[in-house]
Amino acid sequence: MNTAVLPATAPVVLHEVSKRFGRGRGAVTALDRVSLSLSAGSFTAVLGVSGSGKSTLLQCAAGLDQPTSGTVRLCGAELGRLSDRRRTLLRRQRVGFVFQELNLVPELTVAENIALPLRLGRRHVTRDAIAHAAARVGLRPEQLRRLPSQLSGGQQQRAAIARALVTSPEVIFADEPTGALDPYTADGVMRLLREAAAGTTVVIVTHQPEVTRFCDRAVFLYAGRVDAVTEAPEPAAVAARLHALGQRASGGPR
Amino acid sequence: MLAGLRRSPGPLIGTLAAAVTAATLSIAALGVATARTPSPLGRLAGADVVVAASTQLQVTTGSGDSAQTETVPLEAYRGVPAELAGHLARVPGVASAIGESGFPDGTVRPGRVDLVAVKAAPGVSADTLTARIRASLHGGAGYTVAAGAARADLADPGLAVEVANGHALGAAVIPILIITAMFTLAATTALSVELRRRRFALLRAVGATRGQVRRAVLAEQALLAVAGGLLGYLPGALLSAVAVRALASHGLFPAGSTAGSSGWFLLLACAVNLPACLLSALLAARRAARTSPARAVREAQAERAWPHPVRLLLGLAAAAGVVVLGVLSLRQNGPGAEVALALPLLAAGMAAVTLLGPALATATAALLRPLASMGPAARLALAGIRRMPRRTASAVIPVALAVGMIGAIAFFNTTVAHAAAVQSGQTVTAGHVLSGNGLDDRVLTAARALPGVRAAAGVTPLSIGVTDPDLEYIGGEAVSAGQLGQLLDLGVASGGLSQLRPGQVALSTAEASSGLMGVHLGSRVTVYLPDGTPYQATVSAVYQRSLALGDVIIPAAVAGGHTGTPQSYGQILVSGGSQRQLAALAAARPGARLASRDLYNAQVAQNASQNTFVNLLILGIIAALAAVTLVNTLVVSTVERRGRVRLLASAGATTRQLAWSFGWQALFVTVIGVASGAAVCAGTLTGLSRAVTGSAAPYIPAGPAALLVTVVAALTLGAVLTSFAAISRRGKRPA
Repeated sequence: MNTAVLPATAPVVLHEVSKRFGRGRGAVTALDRVSLSLSAGSFTAVLGVSGSGKSTLLQCAAGLDQPTSGTVRLCGAELGRLSDRRRTLLRRQRVGFVFQELNLVPELTVAENIALPLRLGRRHVTRDAIAHAAARVGLRPEQLRRLPSQLSGGQQQRAAIARALVTSPEVIFADEPTGALDPYTADGVMRLLREAAAGTTVVIVTHQPEVTRFCDRAVFLYAGRVDAVTEAPEPAAVAARLHALGQRASGGPR
Repeated sequence: MLAGLRRSPGPLIGTLAAAVTAATLSIAALGVATARTPSPLGRLAGADVVVAASTQLQVTTGSGDSAQTETVPLEAYRGVPAELAGHLARVPGVASAIGESGFPDGTVRPGRVDLVAVKAAPGVSADTLTARIRASLHGGAGYTVAAGAARADLADPGLAVEVANGHALGAAVIPILIITAMFTLAATTALSVELRRRRFALLRAVGATRGQVRRAVLAEQALLAVAGGLLGYLPGALLSAVAVRALASHGLFPAGSTAGSSGWFLLLACAVNLPACLLSALLAARRAARTSPARAVREAQAERAWPHPVRLLLGLAAAAGVVVLGVLSLRQNGPGAEVALALPLLAAGMAAVTLLGPALATATAALLRPLASMGPAARLALAGIRRMPRRTASAVIPVALAVGMIGAIAFFNTTVAHAAAVQSGQTVTAGHVLSGNGLDDRVLTAARALPGVRAAAGVTPLSIGVTDPDLEYIGGEAVSAGQLGQLLDLGVASGGLSQLRPGQVALSTAEASSGLMGVHLGSRVTVYLPDGTPYQATVSAVYQRSLALGDVIIPAAVAGGHTGTPQSYGQILVSGGSQRQLAALAAARPGARLASRDLYNAQVAQNASQNTFVNLLILGIIAALAAVTLVNTLVVSTVERRGRVRLLASAGATTRQLAWSFGWQALFVTVIGVASGAAVCAGTLTGLSRAVTGSAAPYIPAGPAALLVTVVAALTLGAVLTSFAAISRRGKRPA
């Protein structure tokens, strides 16, 4: 998988991407020559034990961080060739984000949070557009005037999904979007994301096997490399693989 | 993005408090600088135009292209020549011109009057007349020509001189305010940005460009500066009223003066705040904008141990600047130049501490690492400093500022007072000193006539204008004829001081040095008497001990009538004679008294000390700004750590352990701040001390130094522990 020839038309393409933190003897390799291609409209889960490089992969693929070597193509643009400003504009116009926590700006209302990417792009924001985005994720109109701290964890994630969708992005990156939620709420949030983002390429970094129930594909990372790729993953099989990876990481039986 | 100001003001409260304090103090200083003194028109009501002498001394030095004109407020009012009335009477359109004298404080010489009151002929307007009078006086240089309401300002010219000096005082405080406000705002702004790094990262992730983040921070700071200006208006107006009253009660303003007030002050206060806020925000905004968007995903990471190389380089450059200025100041020939270097030196020192603060925190944490063995609380505190050097630096800067600036001013005063006390004991050799009111030439003659009196002379402290090379009034003394050698030992370096005759002047070695007046024995110099009259004289003596009597000594005969007060001596120094007879002589004069040399010397030391009300006022201003910044920076940074407190508490830390950890951290902040502030203070004082006392070693009394450190430590510990108590109480409250 690491050296596969990749289609240039896919919205997310990583080629031989490595990322190292620190220098000299203290340097840590978080990603090691990873190549990956995610086709348009696919729903992909990236899984692995802690420290396997999941979040680093998301940061590099989404243009939040720069790889140490290798190339990343996002929505057809090679990120390494773009200036910081062009990368920012690409993120704003064609990419959406959902994070685990501190997803929303605490001093902005839910409506303002949803409208944030539009306002940053100086685009006209109508109340209807916000209400429509909120309705897609099941938020009630009266909740739009509240501050994030006045919402439950599940409602906050819904607002984050609405914000990610408001620009009709080509790709959505989600980093542990259900990590802080109970299984029931997590299930609701994932179902919502799957429905609302239909047709959009979605990349979810997670350590929860249940999440893969909604995904077309599961990519397993181990020690910064792609260990396996499973199409139409089953949560039980994903859990078993994750368990095996965990034992490998702790030096136990394989 | 500015919604943060409204809905989540926590991290910004520190900046706002500093901006409000800076605005309050700026408005107060402006109120003092424009204070008004009610001067009813009185008998000038009948005059259409009033012509008085200027209350400013204007001197042009050099010639041609290099000619430079300088102006300073006069120390005394000189009046106008009596014949001016006759001259003005001949101006077309003048019905009458009458010389007026005898106004309060308007003690002028014979042949002169306080002012000329001019009445216009029928059909001639006051403005027309004013223009004609100005023209007849060749543009009116050296005169003040007033019509309408402005006449009231001239009703008491002596008062006008006092007011001008008071205004200059208010204006002098403003640059100190701006420098102090810059550093305090830099600390609070940096902290407010540091505390919101993750929020900026989120904005960057969802598409905010660096420019947008930078502009948001700058706009936020500009808004805070303006809000600070608005909120500081009323307290500033109140403070200026109190300050003017206090200054008037100390004789620095005429009685009945009221602070100036104007809507323009609001704009001016914002104008002081804006550059300070924006300059400090520029660095912080740059840092906020450079926040990696990846931080929105990553766990809050520890700050980098060593500051950004650019910051480090700038900090090292500022530190090098301190060394260069220090060396320059020690190589200066004259005290004026050294004193002029003191403020830049202090500013460079503070800039070095501000820029190198995080590096200092990291270095100190490494140095204090052995203290970690004192228990988990100390270990936690050290880890906090090591991992969060920028936050630590934000707290260290106001501590260093308080110690550096307050120390520099306070201990400069003690250094001068101490040197003056030592020198004064060596200067006055007369056995007895008569002081008080009514000590005129008759008393002096009577004293000389007493049996056993070997020598007696009258001395009067006064201000004398010099160009060294800037025009300024400095402290000096007028001395009567007499055997000065038997009364004073000024450490004459060249020439002689046994007699000082009209046409002669004695200068201190410092004042005569090349850095200041640049003259020597036998040089011809022009100095200016308190009322601005030029006095051309030959330097007949150069002396070393200047702290007791000042830097310029002129004959009393020359100063008479030019000081704005009736001709009398401040003291009469007497050698020989009996105490009983001298006491009887003093008793015959109401208000006069006899003192021993020691008592007189103690008074001289007191007078020579710069520990005047004005200095206390400046100290108070700096202390207020530093204390507000110190407390609010510490409160904000402590409160923002409530999440960590909860985490540590859930991990098993007791409240006591947590309190100790915060206490340790406050202690480390105090140690780093006091040490760096003391270093800046010492650097500044060395130059100043050498300039004024000749010795590079300043005099720092243990008591006040300990008091300063104790107050700073108490404020630091108090702010941290009180905030900690508040957050730990709130943490225990059921949800």
